[in-house]
Amino acid sequence: MRLLALHVQDFRNLGQVTLAPSAHASIAVGQNGQGKTNLLEALYFLATLKPLRAGRLSELVRWGTSSARVTGRFLLKGAEREISVEVAGGVRQAFVDGKKAASLEEYFGGVSVVAFTPDDLEVVKGGPESRRAFLDRAVFNRFPAFLRESREYARALKNRNRLLKSGPVDAAYLEAYDETLAKTGARVYARRRALMAELAPRAQATFASIGRTPEPAAYKYHPAHLGDVDFASADEAALAVALKEALAARSRRDLDRGFTSVGPHADDVTVTLGARSARAYASQGQQRALVLGWKIAEIENLEAAMGFLPLLLLDDVSSELDPERNAYLMNYLAASGAQVFLTTTDAGLVRGAAAQDTLWLGVRTGEVTSVVPVQEPPAQAQHADEPA
Amino acid sequence: MTPDPLNRLVAQLAKLPGIGEKTAQRLAFHILRAPGEYAQELSQAIREVKEKVHLCARCFSLTDSELCGFCRDNRRDERTLCVVETFADLMALERTREFKGRYHVLHGVLSPLDGVGPEQLRIKELLTRLGDGHVEEIILATNPDVEGEATALYLTRLLKPMGIRVSRIAQGLPMGGDLEYADQATLAKALSARREL
Ligand SMILES: Nc1ncnc2c1ncn2[C@@H]1O[C@H](COP(=O)(O)OP(=O)(O)OP(=O)(O)O)[C@@H](O)[C@H]1O
Ligand SMILES: [Mg+2]
Ligand SMILES: [Zn+2]
Repeated sequence: MRLLALHVQDFRNLGQVTLAPSAHASIAVGQNGQGKTNLLEALYFLATLKPLRAGRLSELVRWGTSSARVTGRFLLKGAEREISVEVAGGVRQAFVDGKKAASLEEYFGGVSVVAFTPDDLEVVKGGPESRRAFLDRAVFNRFPAFLRESREYARALKNRNRLLKSGPVDAAYLEAYDETLAKTGARVYARRRALMAELAPRAQATFASIGRTPEPAAYKYHPAHLGDVDFASADEAALAVALKEALAARSRRDLDRGFTSVGPHADDVTVTLGARSARAYASQGQQRALVLGWKIAEIENLEAAMGFLPLLLLDDVSSELDPERNAYLMNYLAASGAQVFLTTTDAGLVRGAAAQDTLWLGVRTGEVTSVVPVQEPPAQAQHADEPA
Repeated sequence: MTPDPLNRLVAQLAKLPGIGEKTAQRLAFHILRAPGEYAQELSQAIREVKEKVHLCARCFSLTDSELCGFCRDNRRDERTLCVVETFADLMALERTREFKGRYHVLHGVLSPLDGVGPEQLRIKELLTRLGDGHVEEIILATNPDVEGEATALYLTRLLKPMGIRVSRIAQGLPMGGDLEYADQATLAKALSARREL
């Protein structure tokens, strides 16, 4: 998969941007507040239909205009496809080759993207909800059906919560929603478990090579309050039964509190270093290395599963990493052969990811222009001459 | 300036789903110019649909008499009852010409988010209907979405203890449809529900 051309119109502070990305690294350099993250977000939105930063769709539309549009020409499985997404009046519409895409799934046929932002670097220290979001983004990348499956779960959950809040309720009615929630929830469990089984060993291995830490890292997902079902080996039906029982066992307190206290929405990913909570004990550098290990694992895992590398978007990550880990990441990117977009305020930080074919972009007050790098890259800068 | 009666007709037509202002105008001109009694007949048909069509007293589908055609037709098997969300779903099933039993239209699904509970649906009427003991099997044909599933599960809970056989329509890939065009969640479901040959 490769992005051949990108056109952005009235997206956040970007008026009109047209560019032909490099097959490898494209690097956007600019001062704070100029539109670098906006450029990456446009790409992320094109590939996922979701804004990179939480918020309303209408925030994506440039102030004073009525619609935003991002269009990309991709090389997908040997064919050129034009994919485009438009936001107007708070709703989005996707187009494939100029025709309205009937479903999100149709649209997600082949585009795959992994984004890496400074917020991600905080995920080990942050709250469980940010780790869940982090996990689910990886699950969605790996299993496109998860988009709909997780929505079904969310809808069942909202319905059940509304039922709990509406006061005394017909027992059969609540049970019907318990069972619906259990079925959709079991699917979410199974997807997350499948992803973790693939990802955790890779992430642990990557951490071992960048962590500079004798203790091994471990990344684990285990549902909370699920009773004594053997999570690692239970089939989906058994997971549904276990969740249904847990819901029934907690229905009294759930009714009292007006929300559902067990299920995939209440789970966490635990990250440990030598069996100790990384959240509580890992140093700043170790925490970031743990996230880096996970992200690189996600990329490698997608490549193994899809047969091609996802598009990589790195927003100003280098400034948050220490020089050694930053160098590791830049070398990894250059050697991977992936198509990658980086943003930075300091070109020097990302030079390790650059090569002869790098597209350097300057970003200023929402204008993006192709520029010649100020300094030559160092003589033996690594780069991959990998056939497309 | 277009005459007011014409504007009024355009405005009314434009309220119909899927009809924009332009189409409404085209339709209005068409009605105006149509030969013979067309406009008369159209307005008559519209009036009658409102005056004469109402819900069947037994199955709550649509009818212009006390009981609908499906309920009156003696050739239909009264031992099997198919429960659907809407009259449109009933029509879709009927087009298959496969189902020879009777129907029951719920007029919606259980959806706490939309404020629709069991009392808002024709569930009490369904249970009353079963009182005569003729029905042996109930096919739950609500949609395979969250609310449709929950409604089917709710009905199962009520019906099973009455000793009635309850079945749920299968879900999966559309026949004749290409795998290529199925959405990923449907395909994933179909894969996990595969059967041995
Ligand atoms: N809908 C919008 N319309 C116009 N401008 C917007 C819109 N949304 C955000 N902006 C503006 O875009 C500007 C640039 O944002 P962006 O996050 O891309 O900066 P950046 O180059 O990544 O800066 P930093 O280096 O600080 O991360 C901000 O000043 C913001 O006010
Ligand atoms: Mg930024
Ligand atoms: Zn009837």
